Amino acid sequence: MSEESNLLGNIYISHRAIATIASQSALQSYGVVGLAAKNLAEGLAQVLVKDPSRGIDVRYDPAGIQIDLYIVVEYGTRIKSVASSVAENVRYYVEKAISLPVNQVNVHVRGLRISNPD
Amino acid sequence: MSDFALPPDLDGRRLAKMSLLDGQGLKELIIAGMTWLKTNQQMVNALNVFPVPDGDTGTNMLLTMQAAYNEIAGSGEKNVGKMAHSIAQGALMGARGNSGVILSQLFRGFARSLDTLDTADAPALVKSLNEAKTTAYKGVVRPVEGTILTVAKDLALAAEAALLQTQDMNIILEKIVAAADISVKHTPELLPILKQAGVVDSGGKGLFILLEGMLRYLNGQPLDTPITTVLPLASMQLENTLENIEPGQDFEVVVDFRPQADLDLENMYNHLLDIGTSIQVGEGDGMYRMHIHVPTAKRYDPIDYIMGLGTVTKVSMENLLAQMDQNSVDHPVKLHFAPVEPGQIAVVAVSPGLGISRIFASLGVAAIIEGGQTMNPSTEEIIHAFENLPTDRVIILPDNKNIIMAAQSACSMTVKKVAVVPSRTVPQGLSAMLRLNPEGDFESVVKEMCSALEDVDTGEITTATRTVEINGVDVRQGEVISILNGKVVLASNSLEDACLGLLKNAKTESHERITLFYGSNVSKNEVNQIIDKIRSNYPSHEIELHEGGQPHYQFIIAIE
Repeated sequence: MSEESNLLGNIYISHRAIATIASQSALQSYGVVGLAAKNLAEGLAQVLVKDPSRGIDVRYDPAGIQIDLYIVVEYGTRIKSVASSVAENVRYYVEKAISLPVNQVNVHVRGLRISNPD
Repeated sequence: MSDFALPPDLDGRRLAKMSLLDGQGLKELIIAGMTWLKTNQQMVNALNVFPVPDGDTGTNMLLTMQAAYNEIAGSGEKNVGKMAHSIAQGALMGARGNSGVILSQLFRGFARSLDTLDTADAPALVKSLNEAKTTAYKGVVRPVEGTILTVAKDLALAAEAALLQTQDMNIILEKIVAAADISVKHTPELLPILKQAGVVDSGGKGLFILLEGMLRYLNGQPLDTPITTVLPLASMQLENTLENIEPGQDFEVVVDFRPQADLDLENMYNHLLDIGTSIQVGEGDGMYRMHIHVPTAKRYDPIDYIMGLGTVTKVSMENLLAQMDQNSVDHPVKLHFAPVEPGQIAVVAVSPGLGISRIFASLGVAAIIEGGQTMNPSTEEIIHAFENLPTDRVIILPDNKNIIMAAQSACSMTVKKVAVVPSRTVPQGLSAMLRLNPEGDFESVVKEMCSALEDVDTGEITTATRTVEINGVDVRQGEVISILNGKVVLASNSLEDACLGLLKNAKTESHERITLFYGSNVSKNEVNQIIDKIRSNYPSHEIELHEGGQPHYQFIIAIE
């Protein structure tokens, strides 16, 4: 739970909320064609309930927010560029939405999707 | 960066007469597009607000194009399909940033459609543009409209429509470029963030420029002078230009005017280029707005010049250096602080400027409190800085004698174990920082750091705000004064005299290192002149120079 306080009290932002923002911005990022479950058990659970935090891991410590993304990338794109763009996008949009620093975005490329073999 | 100017013996007008495009023709077009993109790179960069406003779209697209070009630079390939595949391959390997990756996907689709064709006619090219668009759209789950993707889609549609009327590739290209232009101008309607920022999409504009470069080449128009752009008023990027300040360009002048009927834009740009940099001209409702950065001495020149071109309705002038200060206060750049483990000793330091904060951070402070001579932080601000650190052992470096009190009262208002190492100046704080042992015994670390305070002499150079006599030194308002360890030792007329006089007063023989932190109120030029002088006067000393970024003090000097 990320925490910030204002004059009247505290504001709590759940990991799940942050994951949803991260998920939206990751899926809008060019070259990312999907988010992948971290493991099989989670994959099964998430198929049953449509989980907005699928493929996203959010942790919080005093230094800031850490986000892990598990993505599927379009075959035929430069993976390194896609990965750094998605990390930058996610950091930017999460920070913009919640005004707390994101100090790490780790991108795990879990697979490639081939829509056009060439 | 490889030089990719078109060979002088090539002429686009020759290519324009052909009805089939071969490998070499495609290569020429690619070079032409890239050359035009390079010429207008900064303009594309300036538009970049989406997805992340980092101002690099033009550069990324250009680097991607250059990677594509490097792949085909020496190639004599005649087969258009094979040439297209090489271009796609190069673009893929060198794709940079979002727009670069999309561009490489466009080339990939384009090449796949041409396959191994020897030459391409109009229908084949139109089909390939369509395939380029389709391939690009496959690379993202939720395509955002109002971007380069939209422009690629619109121009593919325009190409298909044009093919119904003509087989002439030049006319088709003209229609494509026109459609891309309209599509780019429409992007703010599709993507609200563009509209808010008053710009069109940067990636879409980049794609348009690539195609326009090809058309210009076929028409025999030059590719090396940027478009003399008159932007719509709303899209002038006045606030973004702050990052592009060049040394000496200290004033921003904006002039609104109603031009006489025969305004020659080209001529006006050329004249303005002689006066300053960062020139932008915007137009709206028959009114023009001119923006320029000029050196202090020339700050009235643009106004005088524009007076001759029409009726000046409004003039505004801003001191950029002062603005930059404000900017660094409003948008603090992220500093990387030392991570603190529970139980370790953490240091928080008061710093008057960004450059000094960076140095403190690199020495391992856990947090910075902004403040200094005229902006003393409150006790509350000090407590706030260390309260969230994951340790209960904290040392405060006030770095200013007026802040020591506030720091001491912070100690008594927290349950954490907090001590003040009473550094009266920044150099003392830095010197103490060097003795920090985060794992050590608290009392002895504090003692050790306190003992470091006297290791360094501090010089400060500032401008007197009033006429006064201090320590037997007569100081007149506006003179530069040299302060050594808190005492005024000298008042002089120039910065250089103040620095050299200060060093003469300090017992430099017994020291070996002089470190200067220059403030935000002194130009890099002056700094360099002074540092050269010091270097030649003190050849056996180690002289270091850092950007301190502090206000009011031209220099803070550590003498060790």
